[in-house]
Amino acid sequence: MNVLVVYCHPDPGSFVHAVLERALAGLAVGDHTVRLTDLYADGFEPTMSPTERATHADPGVGPELQRYADDLAWAEALVFVYPTWWGGLPAMLKGWIDRVWVAGVAWELPEGSAVLRPLLTDVRRIVAVTTHGSPKRINVLEGEGGKRTLFRSIRLMCSRRTRTTWVAMYGVDTASPADRTTYLGRVERVLRRL
Amino acid sequence: MDALVVVANPNPASYGHALAAAAADGLGAAGHTVTLLDLYADRFVAAMTAAERHAYHTSEPILDPQVAASAELVQRCEILVFVYPTWWSGLPAILKGWLERVMVPGVGVRFRPNGRVAPGLPHVRRIVGISTYGSPRAYVAGVNDNGRRTLTRALRMSCGWRARPLWLGLYKMDARTDADRAAFLTRVRDRMARL
Repeated sequence: MNVLVVYCHPDPGSFVHAVLERALAGLAVGDHTVRLTDLYADGFEPTMSPTERATHADPGVGPELQRYADDLAWAEALVFVYPTWWGGLPAMLKGWIDRVWVAGVAWELPEGSAVLRPLLTDVRRIVAVTTHGSPKRINVLEGEGGKRTLFRSIRLMCSRRTRTTWVAMYGVDTASPADRTTYLGRVERVLRRL
Repeated sequence: MDALVVVANPNPASYGHALAAAAADGLGAAGHTVTLLDLYADRFVAAMTAAERHAYHTSEPILDPQVAASAELVQRCEILVFVYPTWWSGLPAILKGWLERVMVPGVGVRFRPNGRVAPGLPHVRRIVGISTYGSPRAYVAGVNDNGRRTLTRALRMSCGWRARPLWLGLYKMDARTDADRAAFLTRVRDRMARL
């Protein structure tokens, strides 16, 4: 499959970066072509501009975002690797969705219709690989907004038969090195079986 | 009480800005002291930096004076009002980033010695969300209003359960008439005046 890995963390020395490395190692075993988007390394600007907002009904993205739109058109699987902050996607990753998942890229509004028509229908797998500082019960109480954003709103722009996989570690703030090692192993195994 | 109205909208002439002004009007009429924080006008940086991430668990997690100014505001204000368009069932990136960079240990949360999190803003009495939605209300309920959850659950945990949430939403924006929009502005102003 064509696998687009979207990675979001500011620190290349972070645990989330180690998670990314294991995810890529797992993917390398399968018969996939992998493209990696490292939002922070790209210096991606997460904030939608006034002009982008004013023209949001017009299809397509500006030239500086074209490669992100092309990657989405190419992808058959999306793998997100990110820390869950405040129960959801970090601002940088949310900003990539805000600015790239636009009309003519992720969806279109057919003439006379009030219902969005999905355009990323080649995507049939979404995997979310994410760490949480807090324990699972806190995240459940918070409503797991990141999971729902990816597995509902985003998924609706993809193939109707898209399968989703949640590979999460909770309680990272109080986890032992052994816990982290276990999670890293699980991440690699899941991606090996993509 | 002191009230903070945070508006996250790219266009200064937007309906969202009109909503924020109506909220501020209403709060002022109720006798509250209002500070308006316009994230786009202030060019607030959304993405937490690597340096900020490293500093997060130290005694000095705030590195940016702009963030410090916001931290001072939330530590003073008992009413927090957020005005924003819901994008992809959640907060626009600039507002999510404001939460992440401002509500750091010592501000939004306090870490107890056993690593557990305690509220950092126990003085907050009201969390108000005012949001516009492209989708109909039923669709928002189906995909879940994750922006609302972030503010009325996650942020509320930083304030303690005494902080009461209030939600005012206008759905199916593309189908709304001028009369609908004017009516919602009035509703926002009136509701804030009764806060």
